Amino acid sequence: MLTLENLSKHFGGVRAVDGVTLTIREGEIFGLIGPNGSGKSTTVNLITGLYTPTTGTVTLDGWDLTAMPQHARTSRGVARTFQNIRLFGNLTVAQNLWVAQNGHEQRREHFLSRWFKPGGEHGASVDELLQFSRLYSKRDVLAGNLSFGEMRRLEMARALASNPRVLLLDEPAAGASQEDGQLLAERIRAVRDRGVTVLLIEHMMELVMGITDRIAVLNFGQKIAEGTPREIQDDPQVRAAYLGSGHDEKMERASA
Amino acid sequence: MDFYLGLLQIIGVHTLLGLSAYVVLLTGQVSMAQAGFYAIGAYVAAMCTAMFGLHILPAIIVAGLVTAAIACVVGFPALRVKGLMLVVATLAFGEMVRLFFFNFSWQVERGGELIGPNSAEGFRAIRFFPENGWEIWHVTGFIWIVVAVVMGALWWIDNTRAGAVLRAVGHDETAAQSIGLNLTAVKVGAMTLGGLVAGMGGGIYAHTVTHIEHAVFGVLLATFAIAYPILGGLGSVFGTLIAVIFIQGFLVEGLRFLGDWRSLLFGALIVLAMNFRPTGLLGERMPRLFKRRGPDKLELKEAE
Amino acid sequence: MDYFFFIDLIQSTVDGLLFGTTYALIGIGFTLIFGVMRKLNLAYGAAALAGTYIGLVVFLMFDAHPALVFLASALGSGLIGLVVYLCCFRFTPSNYPMASLLASVGMLLFIDEVVIHASHGLPYPYPSVFRDAIIELGDVWVRGDLLFVFFMCVVAMAALFWLLYRTPLGLATRAVSQQPRAAQLCGIDVTRVNMMTFGIAGVLGGIAGAMTAAAVGVLSPVIAMGLTVKGLIVVVIGGLGSIPGAIIGGLLVGAAENIFLLLRGVTERDIYVMLLLFIFLTLRPGGLFGSAQTRD
Repeated sequence: MLTLENLSKHFGGVRAVDGVTLTIREGEIFGLIGPNGSGKSTTVNLITGLYTPTTGTVTLDGWDLTAMPQHARTSRGVARTFQNIRLFGNLTVAQNLWVAQNGHEQRREHFLSRWFKPGGEHGASVDELLQFSRLYSKRDVLAGNLSFGEMRRLEMARALASNPRVLLLDEPAAGASQEDGQLLAERIRAVRDRGVTVLLIEHMMELVMGITDRIAVLNFGQKIAEGTPREIQDDPQVRAAYLGSGHDEKMERASA
Repeated sequence: MDFYLGLLQIIGVHTLLGLSAYVVLLTGQVSMAQAGFYAIGAYVAAMCTAMFGLHILPAIIVAGLVTAAIACVVGFPALRVKGLMLVVATLAFGEMVRLFFFNFSWQVERGGELIGPNSAEGFRAIRFFPENGWEIWHVTGFIWIVVAVVMGALWWIDNTRAGAVLRAVGHDETAAQSIGLNLTAVKVGAMTLGGLVAGMGGGIYAHTVTHIEHAVFGVLLATFAIAYPILGGLGSVFGTLIAVIFIQGFLVEGLRFLGDWRSLLFGALIVLAMNFRPTGLLGERMPRLFKRRGPDKLELKEAE
Repeated sequence: MDYFFFIDLIQSTVDGLLFGTTYALIGIGFTLIFGVMRKLNLAYGAAALAGTYIGLVVFLMFDAHPALVFLASALGSGLIGLVVYLCCFRFTPSNYPMASLLASVGMLLFIDEVVIHASHGLPYPYPSVFRDAIIELGDVWVRGDLLFVFFMCVVAMAALFWLLYRTPLGLATRAVSQQPRAAQLCGIDVTRVNMMTFGIAGVLGGIAGAMTAAAVGVLSPVIAMGLTVKGLIVVVIGGLGSIPGAIIGGLLVGAAENIFLLLRGVTERDIYVMLLLFIFLTLRPGGLFGSAQTRD
């Protein structure tokens, strides 16, 4: 469904992403892992349009997204969260979801009612998302006053508010504890069960190995392996890439 | 009594000026072009009534629309830059407008005398109010009806999704882009709306003073325009109104006994405010707009 | 194009290039401050003007030698630069970049008003040197006072380069402008460097203000706005943060301004200069020498 074809991004002489080709199938949870600085976040930024690729294409359901501006990609069905949470702290929880309703279907609504709907009427979809994220009781709280965990949940809910086809999660477990990781895994599965394909970029091996259907591994901007979690754990190249970067221990623990 | 009515008029037109900057400021853009838009509105409205004999109401609407169109056209290139560079770009635009009117001369003969903008001399004899027998309280009433309508409209927009979108863009552009908002469209939209309000304000201003000249619309006025919403805070339109009353009513008129020295106070006030209350005297607290609907029966579900 | 017009054009360009060095100095001042703090100081032109007035006071009270007057202008402006730093940049919150910008606008108005008040808004004569000396190069005349302005500004720039590249303070300044956090971790007192930068930039501004007044022979408060706006144009064209860019930008603006003056007359001149700025900003926000990215 989401296809990256020979995608590259060079910053001066640095090849942050170098000829990556990937296909993510509809309805799967796909993991993208790699050591620090391997090009994971750059890949996300290329898919969402924050960066323009040096070469290569990004296609979603056959639509070429490569030249599209960011906002057009959202209406085609790409949504994301950020590694360092970026909420609208000056808006309430409900408003954060409300402003994010920029999906394809939502754009068809009449101009006046879409933009000049008065404050109280966020619509049923916002209420539903608030319940899904267990934030309904906080809906009138300013997003800047939430706890860390609530912020993470709200950011994921905001990404879902445009009814995306694919959701890019950029290190959603950063700063979370082990138990939080368990809850997060459940949440990601729940998102997939809503019919949203998930691309998970993550450091926490337990999480990635536990819930993904397939995984691709990046190192120095290149894809060095792709397959099921089992295959990845047994891949000698992957182990070599992680050796010395302190992650092999985690790999062991995850495979144990 | 006339003094206070006159003061009310000043507060009214400055409120419109401040509100025009408020709208743009909501998206996080500091525009020093508002004095330029105000000047365009003033000249256009004055030309409509004094040269072509229009009534004041259509004149200020025309002024607002023309200014909005110019703001929209200028917004596209100007909003490509942001932050400090936008301040410089809009400053340049504002000065450009002022210098344009410094050189602009177009007079027609009406009632035996030449009327119209006359470059450095300015635009004299904008006498719609006296010619039509409006008393000072008529004028004041008219201004405040317009102010009330504009404030009401902006307050309403602030409470709609459009208002939330403006604030979202102002808070974090990267996040706003990632959720599918078209930054250019939102910012240019805010600039256009700001232009509309500034143009109407300028149009009224021209008629209250009957004589306008380029020097009025300089950097000082542009600074006033952005100082009002910044000092008043971005919580709601009322912050701007309070700031105008404070600065124009108290600082400029109330301290008249200080003579010319009070013009120093404005600069000093901004310096002090930025050191101690940089987010405005009233802060950026959103007024409670989103009241809870009905009992929270849905919360039970969450508790499960 | 007839011969006399051609000579006029060359004459305008030469005068503009010579006078453009004052713009270059102002531009360097903006760029220095932006370099170390990543902030614009809009009160800079006003501070330079106020410093020049301090020189004028010295001139009027003691009938001092022009060299002393220029020195007093430079030092006075440096001092006011420090005051601006303390009032607008030292204590404003750094996470809200607009605070210091607006504070500096407030300071601009404040200084401007103080000067207008103190001088009653009237222009005063300002000492100038080599007023009557003229060097003739064929039909093109080089005015002695402009040549002096040029010379002084070049000396000031040379002194600045020496300071930046040959002294420990310059090294610290360059370190802070490249990596403020890293410089701090290396034990550099960033606040002190910031203060020194404001002082040095102020001195440069004072020299530029004194030279502007000396070239015209009179000093009036209106030049504050001119200095501010021209300085901004220069850094925008040259690229914020680039000193060579500021120098070239200054010469370019000086020449362009004089050519517009010749072609379109004095009242329309500044419209075209503003237009130039607006176009540059929107089409090439990084300037000629800056990187395309502009921080805010």
